[in-house]
Amino acid sequence: MLAEHSVGDPFADAFRHTRMPMIITDPAQQDNPIIFSNAAFSKLTGYGQDELIGRNCRILQGPDTDPDSVTAIRHAIAAEESISVDLLNYRKNGTTFWNALFVSPVRSASGEVRYFFASQLDFTHIKNREVDLAAARTKAESEVARRTAQLEHALEAKTVLVHEVDHRVKNNLHSVASLLKLKSRMSESSVAKAALASVLERIEAISTVQRKLFTTDDVANFDVAAFARDIAVDMVGASGRKDVKLDLQLFPVVIPAPKASPLALIVNELIGDAMRRGLRDGGGTISVMVKRLNGHFVIEVSDDVEPVPVDPEEDGFSRIVLEASARQLDASIDRKQHGRKTTVRVQLPVK
Amino acid sequence: MNILIVEDEVLLAMELESELEAAGHSILGVAMSRGDAFAIVEATRPDFAFVDIHLKDGPSGVDVGRRLASIGVPYVFMTGNLKRIPDDFAGAIGAIEKPYSVNGFRHALSYLVKRVRGDLADTVAPPSLVLPVQPSEQEGSAVMDVWKTRA
Repeated sequence: MLAEHSVGDPFADAFRHTRMPMIITDPAQQDNPIIFSNAAFSKLTGYGQDELIGRNCRILQGPDTDPDSVTAIRHAIAAEESISVDLLNYRKNGTTFWNALFVSPVRSASGEVRYFFASQLDFTHIKNREVDLAAARTKAESEVARRTAQLEHALEAKTVLVHEVDHRVKNNLHSVASLLKLKSRMSESSVAKAALASVLERIEAISTVQRKLFTTDDVANFDVAAFARDIAVDMVGASGRKDVKLDLQLFPVVIPAPKASPLALIVNELIGDAMRRGLRDGGGTISVMVKRLNGHFVIEVSDDVEPVPVDPEEDGFSRIVLEASARQLDASIDRKQHGRKTTVRVQLPVK
Repeated sequence: MNILIVEDEVLLAMELESELEAAGHSILGVAMSRGDAFAIVEATRPDFAFVDIHLKDGPSGVDVGRRLASIGVPYVFMTGNLKRIPDDFAGAIGAIEKPYSVNGFRHALSYLVKRVRGDLADTVAPPSLVLPVQPSEQEGSAVMDVWKTRA
């Protein structure tokens, strides 16, 4: 073989001098022995060329070499096919390396397989990096798990606290209402009773916000329409006036918690005002509309009760509460009256 | 009706008492814990009960409720947190959410009285009374006669 390819032959020179380890085997001889190896192969494996010629390349295999990979190579050679396979190989000194092996048949002009050519590539460093990467990932995962547990614990504690605070706020609001009611019951004067009842009504509007705020899934939001329905239905229901009808046009309008109390006061004033005027007469229909319109929220209460003079003090108080709440929300108030029909429209920007 | 109040907030219990008496009922007693409630129920039989979930000895209102249900006493829960109520409402007719309004309470009370007496006729439960099976939310326009049954 060496005689065929003398020094000066570019192919032979390339084979001899390349940095890539390579060998050639002869399947015509028994056990397909190595008939040529290059310096790079010797450098990789620690075997000198004289120790390799005539031997099968299974000398590179050892106890930890995967038998399935070896079987695959054997089948490929028997089938006269190329194969690429990664396997663990052993040097002469017993140390191991990971070998990206490529074996392919070399055919003569007539198509017979004359030789087998094999190149080797030591990718141990890459393999090590894989192991390091896996170890790093495991470490990262356990750190993430630890932090997640910490956060879950903190969230749980925070949730418990939120529940506690909510419970306390509700109790306090209820206590405030109870005090007002108690004082009112104990008051002889109807003026005092009326004054306390008037304040109580507004405090109840704020209390209702607290009730409706928490029971939705998202603590920070509030459905104005649901609130309006509750207030309207309870007001009419408690009045016992069967001649007061409710026309509800309510579409879900969800607002952030900070706007809830002023908005609840607004709804309470509008509906309360209609009820107060309606209670003095033969009833009528109170229409309540809550909806979104072009980047605004609209709350409109109209009624067709006979417009009667209301108590000026109560009316004055109601207007102040309404105007203050509207100013809080940058809302506009528009009041119209045509004969029996009174319409009050409050509009506020969505943002 | 002779009514049992199970509530650990004194001001609230006082107010509830006054409200019920003003509506023509009499108060059998006020219990602040499960133990007190059981004792009263042993000695006398209420016609109705208002049961707060959170009592002096913890969230034991549900236990009181179950006892009342087992002896056939109609009752409602009063609570700031509906989630504390088991799915079956432990046999309660419903629950009133705290803090409740005067209107809301009176509306619920008139419904409850009718229900206990068995003459509900056209009456619909008010929004202030949460029932075990909730009707679907009403959206859009609806002329509502509060006194008529929902379709």
